Amino acid sequence: MLKDVTFGQYYPGDSFLHRADARIKIIILIIYLVIALAAQSALAVALSAAFTLYLAVASHIKLRLLLKSVKPLIFVLVFTGIINLFFTAGSGEPLLQWKFITIYREGIRNAVIMLIRLVSLVLGSAVLISYTTNPIDLTDAIESLLSPLKKIKVPVHEFAMMMSIALKFIPTLIEETNKIISAQKARCADFESGNVFRRIKSLVPVLVPLFVSAIRRAEELADAMECRCYRGGEGRTKLKEMKTRPADWIFLLAAAAMCACVIFLNRVPVKEVFEFWKGMF
Amino acid sequence: MSFITCRGLTFSYSPESRVVINGIDLEIEKGSYTAVLGHNGCGKSTLAKLMCGILLPTGGSVCVGGIDTADAERAYEVRRKCGMVFQNPDNQLVASIVEDDVAFAPENLGLPRGEIRRRVDEALATVDMSGYAKHSANKLSGGQKQRVAIAGVLAMGPECIIFDEATAMLDPTGRQEINAAMKRLNREMGLTVITITHYMSEAVEADRIIVMDHGAVAADGSPREIFSQVEKLKAISLSVPQVTELMYEMELDGFAMPRGILHAMEAADEIEKRAGGGKK
Ligand SMILES: Nc1ncnc2c1ncn2[C@@H]1O[C@H](COP(=O)(O)OP(=O)(O)O)[C@@H](O)[C@H]1O
Ligand SMILES: [Mg+2]
Repeated sequence: MLKDVTFGQYYPGDSFLHRADARIKIIILIIYLVIALAAQSALAVALSAAFTLYLAVASHIKLRLLLKSVKPLIFVLVFTGIINLFFTAGSGEPLLQWKFITIYREGIRNAVIMLIRLVSLVLGSAVLISYTTNPIDLTDAIESLLSPLKKIKVPVHEFAMMMSIALKFIPTLIEETNKIISAQKARCADFESGNVFRRIKSLVPVLVPLFVSAIRRAEELADAMECRCYRGGEGRTKLKEMKTRPADWIFLLAAAAMCACVIFLNRVPVKEVFEFWKGMF
Repeated sequence: MSFITCRGLTFSYSPESRVVINGIDLEIEKGSYTAVLGHNGCGKSTLAKLMCGILLPTGGSVCVGGIDTADAERAYEVRRKCGMVFQNPDNQLVASIVEDDVAFAPENLGLPRGEIRRRVDEALATVDMSGYAKHSANKLSGGQKQRVAIAGVLAMGPECIIFDEATAMLDPTGRQEINAAMKRLNREMGLTVITITHYMSEAVEADRIIVMDHGAVAADGSPREIFSQVEKLKAISLSVPQVTELMYEMELDGFAMPRGILHAMEAADEIEKRAGGGKK
């Protein structure tokens, strides 16, 4: 189960998305989320799906990895799909009526929109941020974007440092968890059988040593950081300079324009445009 | 000239707990190579942390390069002069990418970007890891991680590096890499090196050995002097190098052997002499 964690996994590469400035990418992510959530009408949803598709292709990330980011969501996808399909009441004639099942045209529409929206949300943020952004760049970018908050004494640097350390230690802790599980299995611990409560209870002997070791690691890391003259963000300089290129700004403008389009298309009734267009001939 | 000076040094982790360092007077010469021996829990790591200003003495004083570690205003000068490499390579690397980790100390010192770049490249070259600058630190071998950790300290521009059991978690290859690096730092770059170790073969390489017991210095001298006191070392449950042990056992069996032999070739020569040989 732990093999499937894709959060915080960076796949080095040289695509347009890899080279884009991390701060711009974070802003684009916000715009992207607005687009995915705001799209209502058919045209708007199609546009937002096209944007997702573009990001996925532009990232040069393998299809297998893209699917992996959606995989943990399968259950949620199926569940929301079914709910929307069967429980949306429509105004017109039902398309299908069999015993207690009634499906309206609106049900299909809602289910499709919901699925596109969910997949877009997950896939887009994975491609924009996790897969294509070096964790250090990401935390530097967050620190830089939030730096105005330093004025009101928000510990922005500390937050960014915590996040980058957490990202660095995810693989170490996953490896350690697997080791502990193997060690407990070698002593006949049983993680696979029994009901949910038994299984949760069987995880206690894994979590306790994991916490103990994580705390010990943290103490040692703190000593090592102090030894290397760490004293918080004050007066700290950076090896890497964050630089935006013209292409980044164009990307940002395009995303903003796309957002405006989606909001506009939401208001355009497709049917009337279609009628109007037919009337022209 | 002495670089680190401890005067009547005592330390306990909290007022009510026992004294961990119990009256140590010690001078470490600039440019020297010192090994510290002692069984688990005798206070070696604590002494090391006192020497680089991570812990402050509860009694007595520690001076590093003429600066008292208790001087709060110059605390970072002390840490910059005296770096430390720890046992577990996983727990001392801060960043996921090798060069980002090596840059951590110079970034903390607030150096300009060009200078950081120069120091990172130089430190990685010194430990022979230049080819791994952009690699993920998680995917390196133990010895490589530990070399990155050394580079991370070197980039700070220290005058002294303390290795706290830095080879304890490594395989034999990794151990060799780190020992070679330590020797090079001392012999070629003139850094003061202090290594805490349980491997007698590593201690033999040093110019001076300090044996600790219960938070105090039990013996202090050249490897030859220290390892000729086999009974004393055994009394505080420490071992001696294999060859020294062999010579000691032969002496117990009635062969008059010189004390303090450290290397196999030396021992072979002595045995050959006594075997009445001369045959070559
Ligand atoms: N953070 C700590 N808090 C309290 N006691 C400690 C701490 N670290 C070490 N000690 C105690 O100090 C003594 C010396 O520890 P240490 O210097 O780590 O020994 P060594 O490195 O020689 O094995 C041990 O008895 C240990 O229990
Ligand atoms: Mg120790």
